[in-house]
Amino acid sequence: MVTNLLTDYWPILVLLLVSLGFAGIAMGGGLLLGPRRSSARKQEAYESGMRAIGPGTRQMPVRFYLVAVLFILFDIEVIFFLPWAVVFRQYYENGLGAFILLEMLVFIVILLVGYAYAWKKGALEWE
Amino acid sequence: MQANTLAILPEISLAVLAALLILIDLRLKPERKALLPGITAAGLLAVLALTLAFARPGAAPESIWGGMLRHDTAAFVFRLIFLFGAAVTCLFTIGWKQVERRGEFFVLLVLSTLGMTLMAAAGDLIMLFLAIETASIPLYVMAGFMTADEKSTESGFKYLLFGALTSSVMVYGFSLLYGFAGTTDLYALAAAVASGDLPPLGLLGALVLVLAGFGFKVAVVPFHFWAPDVYEGAPTPVTAFLSTASKSAGFAVVVRFLLAVFPAAVLPQIIGVAALMSVLSMTLGNSAALAQRNIKRLLAYSSIAHAGYILMGVAAASLLGAASVVYYLAVYLVTNLAAFGVVIIYFNVVGSDEIKDYAGLSRRHPGLAFALLVALLSLAGVPPLGGFFAKILVFAAAVEAGLIWLAVAGVLNAILGLYYYLMVLKVVYLDRGPDEDKPLPVRRAHMAALVVCLLLVLALGTVLGPMYDWSNLAAGGLF
Repeated sequence: MVTNLLTDYWPILVLLLVSLGFAGIAMGGGLLLGPRRSSARKQEAYESGMRAIGPGTRQMPVRFYLVAVLFILFDIEVIFFLPWAVVFRQYYENGLGAFILLEMLVFIVILLVGYAYAWKKGALEWE
Repeated sequence: MQANTLAILPEISLAVLAALLILIDLRLKPERKALLPGITAAGLLAVLALTLAFARPGAAPESIWGGMLRHDTAAFVFRLIFLFGAAVTCLFTIGWKQVERRGEFFVLLVLSTLGMTLMAAAGDLIMLFLAIETASIPLYVMAGFMTADEKSTESGFKYLLFGALTSSVMVYGFSLLYGFAGTTDLYALAAAVASGDLPPLGLLGALVLVLAGFGFKVAVVPFHFWAPDVYEGAPTPVTAFLSTASKSAGFAVVVRFLLAVFPAAVLPQIIGVAALMSVLSMTLGNSAALAQRNIKRLLAYSSIAHAGYILMGVAAASLLGAASVVYYLAVYLVTNLAAFGVVIIYFNVVGSDEIKDYAGLSRRHPGLAFALLVALLSLAGVPPLGGFFAKILVFAAAVEAGLIWLAVAGVLNAILGLYYYLMVLKVVYLDRGPDEDKPLPVRRAHMAALVVCLLLVLALGTVLGPMYDWSNLAAGGLF
């Protein structure tokens, strides 16, 4: 029973090792091969190539969060598209093409309602 | 497939209603926005009619959608309870200034109702968790909906924090249950528990964690702290919804979970836990209510006490116990909605929730005073109102299960409860108020909702047959 359970999770272990290995190779490669030239700007916290302007705890316009939320909404839409597209052919070959297409249409319509709402309420306007 | 789709017809139509409401809100001209509560109530009643007509379960309970949902009478009866509660809440929202013109509020209300119907039908731990969150997250926003009002904001925030905490504890319990049984399906879990191979102590621990989440939803001691503050600060229609539909949804889950998945035959300690929580809730709720000066806080503590009475039916862990829970919830729904209806109507005119400001109500508007009288006496359990028969049922269930001390504690608490309900009625009927000659206008929609609720309170106490049969069927379908 226990061995069965563990062997079921083999792929996760493999994935873990592969991702750790990939990160290790990428970072180790940079460490070994890359040139290292330090400068004052690079030593700053949150270095991004730009000079920091002011402290990091400033007030932010709430509009930013609106855009962020909308971004997440449509980002997730795309994430849901992917598995749908992967299994689409299977369903189509089993004669369920219309069904799976309809399912996705329902999903898109629900998102469109949200989109129309955000648009009409002025969430997309940036003045 | 078709039977599966028909079984979730209520959920589908609620989702469609929510989407339609967003669009209607966008198209409606600002001066006609006051129609929104009426439209939502009509939509919810239409869903109720659809449920009655097409989503009736068969005689034998079924697992549908790969075991995610159960199609049984319990889910069906609870759906009707939530839909009715949501529709009446909408009607009482008419005239509530910060809320009635905001389409978002009604969308959230419908989505929360959708979550509740799924809670009542959930047959899988994952589905259950998703349903609880779908029901709760809109409620957090609704409790804090009056953003200009500090108390409402505080109420929403407090509710969110407590809710997040207890639901994380609950999910931890779920994960332990999955770890023990290797399945998330409630009825497969029940079979695994019944086989007796799982460690009883571990199960009990996991169950206590899960009960923290459920206890928060139904506001029983020791998970009741949030209730008075949240109830007081939230817009009163939201309070009415929280204390009726949301509580019923919590109990729908408790009953299914404790009676179907963890039968007392396997884990006898459950009865002790439920009985203890029941006694504590009744006693603490009733004694704290004695000292309240604000009617919303009073009803909040009274709702904690009523959660205790209902848990008595759960502690009985029998068919009668489960049936009494369903019956009690139906009665509590209509009674408490009527009580909050009066509070809302009075607040709209007078602008106060203090009990002392209710002085002279009987001379100002005898009808409204009578409505409060009927609602509070039913809450106290006076015959021939619904509350009386509901209490008889839970006490009978406790006695039948051999928990005579629990029934005695319940009767003593009922007396305690009668005292503070009568104290409110004393202010309403005997005390003189300064504004007794001023008219107290009551909207027609409010009056209609109030009359329907009161008739149901009376009907549930006199014409017992139909609801009692449904409660029995619902209880039978759980096992």
